[in-house]
Amino acid sequence: MALADTRLLPPAAPPAQEGRAVLLAGVAHVLLIAAASLGWHWAAKPLPPSNEPIPVEFVDIADVPRVSTPPEPSMEAAPQETSTPPEPEPLPVPDPVPEPEPKPEPKPKPEPKPLDTSTLSNLINKALPKAKQKPLDTSALAKSIQAAQPKNAVVDPRAAATLAQAIRAQVAPCWNPPIGGQDVRKMTVLIHAEFAPDGSLSVAPSVVSQTGTSGQNADYARAFAETARRAVLRCAPLKLPANLYSLWKSVDINFDPEAMT
Amino acid sequence: MRTLALLLLLGTAPAAAQLRVDINSGISQPLPIAIPDFPASEVVATEAGSTAELGKRVAEVISNDLRSSGLFRPISPAAFTTVVSVPDVTRPRFESWRTVAAQALVTGTVTANADGTIQLACYAYDVFAGEELTRQGFVTSAAGWRRAAHKCADLVYSRLTGESGYFDSRIVYISETGPRSKRIKRLAVMDQDGAGHRFLTSGQNLVLTPRFSPSQQQITYMSFEGNRPRVWLYTLGTARQEAIGQFQGMSFAPRFSPDGGSLVFSMAVNGNTDIYTLDISSKRLSRLTSQPGIETSPSYSPDGSKIVFESDRGGTQQLYVMNADGSGQSRISFGDGRAASPVWSPRGDLIAFTRFGAGRFGISLIRPDGGGERLLTNGYQDEGATWSPNGRVVMFQRSGRGGPPSLWSVDLSGQNERKLPTPLDGSDPAWSPLLP
Repeated sequence: MALADTRLLPPAAPPAQEGRAVLLAGVAHVLLIAAASLGWHWAAKPLPPSNEPIPVEFVDIADVPRVSTPPEPSMEAAPQETSTPPEPEPLPVPDPVPEPEPKPEPKPKPEPKPLDTSTLSNLINKALPKAKQKPLDTSALAKSIQAAQPKNAVVDPRAAATLAQAIRAQVAPCWNPPIGGQDVRKMTVLIHAEFAPDGSLSVAPSVVSQTGTSGQNADYARAFAETARRAVLRCAPLKLPANLYSLWKSVDINFDPEAMT
Repeated sequence: MRTLALLLLLGTAPAAAQLRVDINSGISQPLPIAIPDFPASEVVATEAGSTAELGKRVAEVISNDLRSSGLFRPISPAAFTTVVSVPDVTRPRFESWRTVAAQALVTGTVTANADGTIQLACYAYDVFAGEELTRQGFVTSAAGWRRAAHKCADLVYSRLTGESGYFDSRIVYISETGPRSKRIKRLAVMDQDGAGHRFLTSGQNLVLTPRFSPSQQQITYMSFEGNRPRVWLYTLGTARQEAIGQFQGMSFAPRFSPDGGSLVFSMAVNGNTDIYTLDISSKRLSRLTSQPGIETSPSYSPDGSKIVFESDRGGTQQLYVMNADGSGQSRISFGDGRAASPVWSPRGDLIAFTRFGAGRFGISLIRPDGGGERLLTNGYQDEGATWSPNGRVVMFQRSGRGGPPSLWSVDLSGQNERKLPTPLDGSDPAWSPLLP
């Protein structure tokens, strides 16, 4: 304590004038008495010098925190929670999904410049009225898609575009990209998502590819990709027309913040 | 997959083909984050309080740090549906954090070591993915618990934004008090969040423009000690103060070079003010400018290759950039009004400065090539900018009409203006680099 307070005093370096020296001595006495009155306990444990930052050492920490007493059960651990498996299931499990479809294997494909279905669908989208973020009437959506769809399951591009619009309207409000970064302008990420018939995710969404990354912005690129993945996780289950499930069972979603920067 | 999508669009694919969706915008909101009290492995008394108390205070410091960035929204602990116990730290109950809409979780433990130090274990999780994002342990003396908490906040900030943090850093500034005619100005330092405030000088001598050295062991500033305005150095560990040299004229507006080996400042000799550098160890002085006008407020680019400064050589105060040896001087600020007090961003891509004219002062940003100028703040009198260590936040002094100055910070986007708590009035802030 006393050590800390003495630093309030004028510097020792420049020669002190006489009056100042007397003042200094006076203040020092007061501090000395104050320090003494605080007792031996304080003197034995002085706080570190005030002006210098206290060192902090970085250490690795284990999977299991050090516990020196037997771990107590959480106060509010609800009975059903105590039986929770160690690794909580990150995703809601879809009920009776009639699909043993194996996930297409990992695909860090080299990225040929998209030729590009998105441009095409964007063009189509622009011709279509904007779907606002109002609750979707999936049955009406299904009807409109089906109406646009010729018989024999040949999909009309307009139907696919309208479905894309419905997915966009539900996922975009969940996407909170870090747009402050320097590299955001060039960055996009393609996320692959697979859905169960109830609109929930059947597997965790994965990153297919990412543009705008460099050796320098790896941390930013990772954080960026995670916001896209988080958007899909948070917005599931999606509300999409059940009778068009085959169309949206497996979706690639390209996240590009161009309209935000 | 793309081929399939194309086929689909061409109308020849089976219905099971891959759909592709483009999303070109999202939302821009602070990320909801849960930061429950850190449980103590064992409740032990330390000189800074019990480990359980420290666990609570650590969570508060981290919450305040993250909230102040404007990028996070710590969820009120009142909403939490669970109390975190030590085993929960490494096996969080993600479900209960999802129910309070937390997207990220910061948790950890506080442990007292046998040697009197404490260990803060810091873990961050992605709640919706149910995954660990990062972890780090910090060992410090019990009195250093705030620094450990700031380090944890920096870890979380950098993991979730992809940019380096800035919470474990300090501010040096001029603390002001007293009537206008008899203003007392003292050097003061505090943590970036206002904690740990200390006065460094007594107020006997007028002091101005304090700046940290890159190592943060020293502060350079201008003092009127002995009625001679000169550049001084203050060494933090020893509280020693020394004038940097017995120069002929008055010296002012000092800053360190990025390597900490030299100082750049202005000196008025025979009525002409120019920019000089002084090698701290050899005391060798070099003159960088020689124009007849006033050249002042020099600030190095982070790589040390260039210096931005202000000069009235063109008739009004404007910004100029030159090479570190004084060559290649060129003007970068134009337009209405004057430009002063430039400071180069630690990222190197921007320069913050005071733009004034027509009775108003504001902080502006400009690229080093003179392009892209934009006003960041527009108060009655905002001036004296300084950058956070990661170049995401600008701090400055704001004075109302005739009112006392105070310290404010603003995000690079111009959002999230915040006033810093200081015991007295505050001016002339300078942000330190991140502490080691």
